[in-house]
Amino acid sequence: MSNLKILLAVWKANLQSAMEYRVSFISQVLGMMLNNGMYFVIWVIFFDRFKEIRGWGVGDMYVTFGVSASAFGLVSLFFGNAFNLGDIITRGRLDYYLSLPRPVLLHTLTSRSVASGAGDFLYGILSFAVSGYFSAEALARFTLAILLAAIVFASFLVIVQSLAFWMGNATNLVTLAVNAMITFSIYPISIFDNTAKLILFTLVPAALMGAVPASFAIAFTWQTLAQLLIGAGAFLALAIFIFYFGLRRYESGSGIQVEI
Amino acid sequence: MSAITVSHLQKIFQSKRKAAGLGASARSLFQSEYTTVEAVRDLSFEMQPGELLGFIGPNGAGKSTTIKMLTGILHPTSGDASVLGFTPWKERQKLAFQIGTVFGQRPQLWYHLPAVDTFTLFGKIYERDDAFTQKRIAFLSEAFEIGDLLETPVRKLSLGQRMRCEVAASLLHQPKLLLLDEPSIGLDVVAKQHIRDAIRTMSQEEGVGVLLTSHDAGDLEALCHRVIIINHGQIVYQDKVSNLKRKFLTRKTVEVRYAEEVNVNFNLEGMETLKTGRYGVKLSFDTRTTPADAVLMRLSAAGTLVDITISDPPLEEVIANIYGRQLSVDSGL
Repeated sequence: MSNLKILLAVWKANLQSAMEYRVSFISQVLGMMLNNGMYFVIWVIFFDRFKEIRGWGVGDMYVTFGVSASAFGLVSLFFGNAFNLGDIITRGRLDYYLSLPRPVLLHTLTSRSVASGAGDFLYGILSFAVSGYFSAEALARFTLAILLAAIVFASFLVIVQSLAFWMGNATNLVTLAVNAMITFSIYPISIFDNTAKLILFTLVPAALMGAVPASFAIAFTWQTLAQLLIGAGAFLALAIFIFYFGLRRYESGSGIQVEI
Repeated sequence: MSAITVSHLQKIFQSKRKAAGLGASARSLFQSEYTTVEAVRDLSFEMQPGELLGFIGPNGAGKSTTIKMLTGILHPTSGDASVLGFTPWKERQKLAFQIGTVFGQRPQLWYHLPAVDTFTLFGKIYERDDAFTQKRIAFLSEAFEIGDLLETPVRKLSLGQRMRCEVAASLLHQPKLLLLDEPSIGLDVVAKQHIRDAIRTMSQEEGVGVLLTSHDAGDLEALCHRVIIINHGQIVYQDKVSNLKRKFLTRKTVEVRYAEEVNVNFNLEGMETLKTGRYGVKLSFDTRTTPADAVLMRLSAAGTLVDITISDPPLEEVIANIYGRQLSVDSGL
């Protein structure tokens, strides 16, 4: 309970910090919504020509894109440091979080908010609203789906970024992994064969950030719910384990940073 | 019970070694060579509750590594430590409630927010109620003279102002022990004095123990009861500051600049001229035989002073001196 109160206080400070630069905040939010819209146009044109790919139509794409964008937005807004955890580790900036009496991973992840995430989050809801699947019940499922997808995405980021404990600099690998995750999460899952699907549920769990939560939002099945719950739980546990295992190797740093 | 007990603490880092040049960089992709760096070796010491202990040494001596192990930030390679009854790397969170930390090179205040917002957030992080936090902020703003600074975004504060706010923030939860890593780094003389005064006041009023690392002998002289000097990860000297001063900090350097040309002989008893110029002079004097005010009076009598700096010998010189004495004792000279 006390951790929840502190999380709220940290998020409030994040918001206050972002509000210090109001114009930048608003332009980032609107800019990201526009960016997503421009990107999605390609799918609208595609499905206008082909109608559907193996049972996957433009309405499904709206929901898939919506889930993925909203989950991405939630992580950016509330766990913003998941995107630069590796850099924090390499530069010894975990010192700050380790000197405070809080769970270090949770505190680190929540201590930054990427303002453009609000744009992604809102765009995702809009995308779902115009998908043709919108209803009160579907909205409740969509909400649960994006929460679980966000857990999978944040956990995946933590796992990849924690490699910095062993590799030192994992920036390029992280960029590659994040791009793969986002790209594959907004592809229709029906186009992949079984081997590819296995990868999309394990190595790069993009299916758990796009197709599976989207299917769950569209229509309730116990199978998709179970996949989401087990996936989110397993990746979260793995992320926590790898981070804390790596933390024993943390070397801090001199704090004098030279940019080359 | 001691506030800190350190026993045979050791920390070894592995560092990648690579020769200069592109060819060596390419080779290192396939075959890496590592060297081990022993940052802290077989370190043992104790600190009593309420004590002001200086932990000093030159850059790279292992001071920060030690303080990071004592706060639970780093895991040691071997050895034991107990801080307020906790093993730092095993009970980091419990310990963090009881101690305050400041890393001079790593700000803890939120850069874009006024310091008061970080203070309020820290109140929540340390699970103090709002009434306690507000009362404490009022008390600390008086003690550190930061009342006017609290509502200015931290990015707009000078380094000295920011450091005062940093140290005040570390005391917000009323810790029993303060671990300060280079709190005066990069500060000018006046700002250093401000920080030192505030730390001393807090220690006297609240009985907070202070473990302070620095590579500035002035911090030690102004604040500490006892000193441990480390170099290359090992203790080379530990004693009361008064003894250290008597034995090793016996000389001060004074540098003055005049408004007009001067041509005076400053060779007085106990004073040694290090450098002379048309408008100034740099000399050192023995504090045991020559009081500072006598030196200043002599210098000010020679002309109109426009600038004056009094400094301690660099710590490297003090350590070399300590080594010299040890060698003499060891060889029976």
